Amino acid sequence: MIKKFPLNRKQRTLVKIIISIIFLVTVILGGVLLDEDKIVTNLSERNSAPSLEHLFGTDWLGRDMFTRTVMGLSLSIGVGLIGAIGSASIALLLGMAAATMGKMADRIISWVIDLFLSVPHLVTLILIAFTLGGGFKGIVIGLTLTHWPSLARVIRAEVMQIRSAEFVQVSQKMGKSRWWIAVHHILPHIVPQLLIGFMLLFPHVILHEAAVTFLGLGLSPHEPAIGIILSESMKYLSSGMWWLAFFPGLCLLIVVRTFDQIGENLRVLMDPTRNHD
Amino acid sequence: MKLLKKIAFITLIASLLLAGCSSSKDKSNKHNERNKDELVLAFDSEPETGFDPTTGWGRYGSPLFQSTLLKRDDKLNIVNDLATSYEVSEDGKVWTVKLREDVKFSDGEPLTASDVVFTFETATNNGSVVDLNGMEKVEAVDNYTVKFTLKKAQSTFVNSLAATGIVPKHAYGADYAEKPIGSGPFELVQWDKGQQLIVKANPEYYDKQPNFKKITLLFLNEDAAFAAAQAGTVDLAYIPAAFSNQKIPGMKLESVQTVDNRGIVFPFVKSGGATADGLPIGNDVTADPAIRHAINIGVDRQALVDGVLEGHGTPAYTSVDGLPWWNPDTIIKDADLEGAKTLLKEAGWKDTDGDGILNKGSLKAEFTLYYLANDAIRQSLAISVVDMMKPLGINIKLEGGSWDMIAKKMYSNPVLMGWGSHDPHEMYNIYSGESAGIGYYNTGFYENKTVDDYFAKALSATSEQDAIEFWKKAQWDGTTGLSAKGDAPWAWLVNIDHLYLVKDELDIGDQRIHVHGHGWPATDNIVEWKWAN
Repeated sequence: MIKKFPLNRKQRTLVKIIISIIFLVTVILGGVLLDEDKIVTNLSERNSAPSLEHLFGTDWLGRDMFTRTVMGLSLSIGVGLIGAIGSASIALLLGMAAATMGKMADRIISWVIDLFLSVPHLVTLILIAFTLGGGFKGIVIGLTLTHWPSLARVIRAEVMQIRSAEFVQVSQKMGKSRWWIAVHHILPHIVPQLLIGFMLLFPHVILHEAAVTFLGLGLSPHEPAIGIILSESMKYLSSGMWWLAFFPGLCLLIVVRTFDQIGENLRVLMDPTRNHD
Repeated sequence: MKLLKKIAFITLIASLLLAGCSSSKDKSNKHNERNKDELVLAFDSEPETGFDPTTGWGRYGSPLFQSTLLKRDDKLNIVNDLATSYEVSEDGKVWTVKLREDVKFSDGEPLTASDVVFTFETATNNGSVVDLNGMEKVEAVDNYTVKFTLKKAQSTFVNSLAATGIVPKHAYGADYAEKPIGSGPFELVQWDKGQQLIVKANPEYYDKQPNFKKITLLFLNEDAAFAAAQAGTVDLAYIPAAFSNQKIPGMKLESVQTVDNRGIVFPFVKSGGATADGLPIGNDVTADPAIRHAINIGVDRQALVDGVLEGHGTPAYTSVDGLPWWNPDTIIKDADLEGAKTLLKEAGWKDTDGDGILNKGSLKAEFTLYYLANDAIRQSLAISVVDMMKPLGINIKLEGGSWDMIAKKMYSNPVLMGWGSHDPHEMYNIYSGESAGIGYYNTGFYENKTVDDYFAKALSATSEQDAIEFWKKAQWDGTTGLSAKGDAPWAWLVNIDHLYLVKDELDIGDQRIHVHGHGWPATDNIVEWKWAN
C-alpha cells in the first residue's frame, strides 16, 4: 500500500500556490521571452503530433502549439489581472459608497448591482465589448465593467456590519469625519474580503475572456488568445488532431482551477467562522 | 474470477461483432431504401435571398427552376438555351435574340418575348447585384423575338443573357423568390429555410430531362456535411480541404479546378486622397511598384497550395486562370526570395536602422493586411504570406474583420480578397480605371491607360471570340498589363479547388472550371448527373 500523506488545508493551499506561481512565472517569462518569431508558420512541419521538439505538437500551419499556448495564456492572464483589479476597485468603491453615503446612494447602488446581476455576465460583456469596437481594449473594459457586482454586494454588507460596530459608533460620537472612519476603521477590515474577492474574480475573468474570444468577438483570429486557439482547433478535432485543443484547454483548466481553489481556501482560512457556508 | 473475466471478454467481443454486422446491414438497407432516381446533396451555403433571378439567383451554378436565353457548355462556349439564335448589330449596340416557340413554364403557360422583357426590366429596376447598367432598353419585336439596346457596345452582355433566368410575367409576385415558377429542369417542392430545399423534375422542361426525379439539397455546415457523408446519408457533400485526407468507404473525392481565387489587392496610388464618403485612398508603401513586384515574386504559391489547401488548388497568377480569355504569358517565376531582394535593393529599399524592416527615405516597408476574420482559409493564407515576406524585410501586420469593417479600410490598405467568374466583365470591374472605388471593385484605384484601351476594345468587339484577344492583351501585351508581369496591382495567390465527396456510383459529369461560391457551381451540369452503372 502506498503511504498517504494527508495534507491539511493550509498545506494544500500552499502546494496550489506553488503550482500557480510556477505557472505564472513560466507564462509571464514565456510571454516576454518568446516573441512572435517563434510562432512563425512552417508549412513543412504541419499537423505533427506532440514530440520532444514540439511539446504540444504543431497546428495546420506548422506553428508550435507550446509557444502559442504560452502566448495565449500570458495574454489571458494579463487580461485577467487587469480585469480583476479593475473590477475589484469598482466593487470596493461602490460597496463603500453604498454603505457610507446615506440611504439614497445605497438605494441607487443596490439597484445598479441588482440590474447587473439580473443579466448574465457574458451578455453584458459581449454588448460592451462590441460597442467599444472590440479589440483588446474592448474586452478589458468589458470584463472590468461586468465582474464587480457580486463583490460589491459582499463589501457593502461587510461595511454595513462594521459600521454598526461599537468602535465605529464611538468614533462617530467623537466627531471623526466619515472619510476618516472609512479609511481608518472600515478599510482595514474589508481588505481580506477584497483580496479573496479578487482571487475569485481572477479565474472568472480569464474564463470569460476565453469564452468571448472563443465566440470570435474582440480579437483578430490570428492572435494567440486561448479562446481563439480552442475555437480554431474545433474543426480539426474530427480529423484526429487532438493536441490542438487538449493542451491549451488543459492549461486553461489548470490555471483557472488552481486560482479558484486558492481563493476559496484563503477565504476559509482567513475567516473560519464562515467555514460552513 | 478468471472464468468470469473470460466470459465478460467473450461477451464484449461478440457484442462488438454483432454491432458491426448490424450497422453494415443498416447501411446497405439504407442505400436500397432510397429510390434510384432520388439524390441528396449537402452544401454549406444557402441562397438566403431566395430563387429570384432578377435579384441574383443563378449567378453561381444552375438556376434549377428557370432557364436562360444562352448558356455555357462544358468547354465554356456560349450555346443556345431558350434562344434559337442571336445577332449583334455592326456597332455592337443592338442585340436581337430569337426564342424557341415550344417552351412552357412549369405551370403550363407558354414562355414568350414579353416574359423576357419583363425579366430584364424587373432586374434593372431591382437594382440588385445583377449588373445591367450597360442596357438602355429591352423590347419585344414579336412574340418570339427580343431586341436589347445597349448604351454602348459591350461584348460581355452575352453573360447577362447566360446568367439571367427568365421569370414568368403572369406569375411574378412579391413571394416569387420563395415560390419560383420557371421553365428550368426542376420545380420547387419545398424550401425549409436554413435546412433544406427539395426539388423535383419539371415535366414541362423542353430539353433533355434530368436523370433524377427528386433532389434534396441539405444546407449543412462543413462538419455536419462531413458527418452526413460518413453516415452515408448524402450522395454528394461539399467539404473543406481540412477533411480531404480522410477516406470514407463508398465515396470518392472529386476535386474540381476553379477560378475561385484568393489574392491580395494593393492600393495602387499614393496616400492623400479620399472617397466621397471620406474614406482614405492610397498607401505610400504599396504604391511603390517594387514592393508589389517583390511580394509577387517572393511568395511561394505552391507552398500555399500544399500547406493551406492540402494540395487541392492551383497557384493563381490572374483572376481568370484557365478560362478562355486567360493569357498564359502571365505566369511568373515565384518563390524567388533572392530575385525579390535584388528588386527591392535596386528600387532603393535598404534596412538602414537594423530592425530587419526595409526603409526608403522616411518610408518603412510596413503595412496592414486585412482579411475576412471568419474565413479560415483566408486567415491561413494571410498568416503564411506574412511569414513568407518577413525574410524580405517587408513587415505585414494582420487585421481580421467583417466586410463592414474592411469596407472602411480597403481603399487605403491591402486586402485579401477573392473573385472568380465565367464572365470576363469581372476582369474589367476589378481592373478598369472606371470602376475604381465602386464598392469592392478595384479598391486599389488601379489605372493604366493602355489596359483601359484594351478593355474598351474588348467590350466593343461584336463577339466574344474577337474580344478574347483584347482581354488577353490587357493582362500582358509584352510591355505592360494588369498582371504581375506588368503593374502588379494584385498579388494573386491561389485558386481553391472545390472538393466534393461523391458516392462511388454517382457520375457528376465533366465539371467545368468552377467559379467563386461554395457548392452551387457543381449544379451547373446537374441535368447530366447519373448513376454510373
